[in-house]
Amino acid sequence: MFPFVYEFHWTPGHIIFLGVFFSVFGMIIVTLINAMLRSRKDFRFKKAGAILWKTDFEDLPKFARACRHEFTGEAEHRVCDNGFNCGTCEAHQTFLAQQKAEINSDISQSDIFGFTMPPDRMYHRGHTWVKKMEHGAGSDTDDGTYIVGIDDFGNRLIGKPERVSLSEIGSRIEANTAGFIFEKAGAHLRILSPISGEVIEHGGNDKEWYLKVKADDSTNGMAHLLRGAEIRPWITREMERLQMSLATSKIGFTLADGGELLPDMNRHYPNVDWDAVWGEMFLEA
Amino acid sequence: MDNKLKTRPIVAREAGLMPRGVERTSFTNFLFWILPWTALLCFGVYAIYLCLADGLWHTNMDNRFAFGLWIFLDLTVIALGAGAFFTGFLLYILRRKELKAVINSAVVIGLICYSGAVSILMVDVGQPLRAWFTFWHPNTHSMLTEVTFCLTCYLTVLIIEYIPIVLKNRQLRQIPKFLVFEFELHKLMPVLAGIGTFLSFFHQGSLGGLFGVLRGRPFAFREELGIWPSTFFLFVLSAAAAGPSFVMLTTWLVQKISKKQLVKPEVMQFLGKVSGILLIFYIMLKSVDTLIWINSTSPSEGFPAFEFYARKSFGTWILLTEIIAFGLVPALMLLNKKLRARPVFLYGAGLLVCCGIMLNRFVMTIQTLALPTLPFDEFMSYIPSWEEAAAFLAVIAYGVVLYSFTFRYATLFPQERELQQIQRG
Repeated sequence: MFPFVYEFHWTPGHIIFLGVFFSVFGMIIVTLINAMLRSRKDFRFKKAGAILWKTDFEDLPKFARACRHEFTGEAEHRVCDNGFNCGTCEAHQTFLAQQKAEINSDISQSDIFGFTMPPDRMYHRGHTWVKKMEHGAGSDTDDGTYIVGIDDFGNRLIGKPERVSLSEIGSRIEANTAGFIFEKAGAHLRILSPISGEVIEHGGNDKEWYLKVKADDSTNGMAHLLRGAEIRPWITREMERLQMSLATSKIGFTLADGGELLPDMNRHYPNVDWDAVWGEMFLEA
Repeated sequence: MDNKLKTRPIVAREAGLMPRGVERTSFTNFLFWILPWTALLCFGVYAIYLCLADGLWHTNMDNRFAFGLWIFLDLTVIALGAGAFFTGFLLYILRRKELKAVINSAVVIGLICYSGAVSILMVDVGQPLRAWFTFWHPNTHSMLTEVTFCLTCYLTVLIIEYIPIVLKNRQLRQIPKFLVFEFELHKLMPVLAGIGTFLSFFHQGSLGGLFGVLRGRPFAFREELGIWPSTFFLFVLSAAAAGPSFVMLTTWLVQKISKKQLVKPEVMQFLGKVSGILLIFYIMLKSVDTLIWINSTSPSEGFPAFEFYARKSFGTWILLTEIIAFGLVPALMLLNKKLRARPVFLYGAGLLVCCGIMLNRFVMTIQTLALPTLPFDEFMSYIPSWEEAAAFLAVIAYGVVLYSFTFRYATLFPQERELQQIQRG
């Protein structure tokens, strides 16, 4: 095998055969080491959250990855491959440029199929919302502070969590990574943060919001959030997704058109695999 | 939080290990499924122990049948396991993204086939503790050396390819280091797929080549094309044709056992089509090779070819069955779009292809050694001992156990969740 080993000969046969073998073996080892070094680098730069979202997103069914422009009828059967990161999506910019006036129009209706979805905030596809902090009447201060909460659809679906773990005050959160974790009925559910920034205050069950965040950028970092006329068709799609998730062989019921979602659903339908339904609806693989 | 987890029933904790949104049988049913296979595995391990502790006299192999049941089945599983390298090649190198639906399963099948084959080889050499000799003092003129080196390297590749499948387990991916490593390793899969293709080409070929160079066995001996005998290329092509069929068949079997649709029919049909295309090429080349052997190679060695088929057990039927019934017929079935769309023909053809590869490897090992080559020689038969059979049954049991655990706790079929939703909807 090596020149110092008995019966090694400096012949073309030995050199070619062993040369090829060592090259292949070397490539395998280098590939493995490369993966380790890259992971160490990712780990050092705290990319685990972003990687989790990326892998989760790839595993989501196509129906869950539908483009927001499909909801509004601007596109037909368009599936997102960009992790809902509309800020870096070229097609999104094109759609925005061509957008009809009514899509951008101000929608004041907050009741959508019985859900309270106030139009004063922007919504993340993982059922969280973000709203700019109000600093009192007459104040024109915009310090980039936002409050983050879970939307009415998500609230009714999960009900009152048994335990909530919030990102620590002073820590950074990234959009599409875990903002807070709900525990309920043995399930651990990470709820995606809608924005990137620094956590400056905790809310909780007694308040309508969970996190107060000093956002990195108040405009570009919000391009992926749904707003205005997009909310109604999105909720329609979410109802369809929920219907599909609930339609297990054990449950024997489906949501009737026009019906309203009961609060704390898992209490009413204990036979459902809620871990799977919650994972599906909160975009967790 | 920890206290809560501890007090949760074991069934709930076990369910937390499974992929989200897919249905699996109860833990009790799973145990009932696993136990008989584990018992078979233990029985086989005992037979292996006898062979290693007492010696190879526990087998019915002798100086004439130096290759027996183990080598025949090793060659078969290595050919069937070729689905791993060929699916990887199509997905990562030729970018056939639809095969993402079966790549994990193909890798697990490949790992089972190759690790099983290597384990049996270790028993077959009789002195596994001296297995390192072949690496330390390689005979670079030997086809077996090439096989040993490539097989070992490819098994290493398959183990590395299996790591991301395990690390993607729902609980393991909660550990950030595992998640990140799985992600980065997965990104490098095209490199591993390329290495796997290179290694598979050489070891599948050399396994065929080692029969083709047996000048003293005119039944197997073939003329050289370049530096390799024709059997080198025939083995590569036949393995590449059978691999996708085996992946298709195992997926169908898992679907039947689990009573769920795991893969879209289009993916199965694509695998069938790939298998059909490669098989028709293989059958053409095999036919040409056989004709050259009948008319030139064998007579030039002093043996009229049909003398080899004068034995009752190994008549010309075996050649015709291999080429027509297990070759041409399934190839035409798989190449016809309408037939391919009907499951009975698709899976029936897949089964014929796998039977064909098994028969080919049987002919190359057992028939080659059974036929006499010297004037005073006679036709000999060989029946494997129970230890030989049990050792190989252990490989099958090990395969079922490993596949069952991976299917239960990892994501083998990424389309499963979506397909279940569609079925429910």
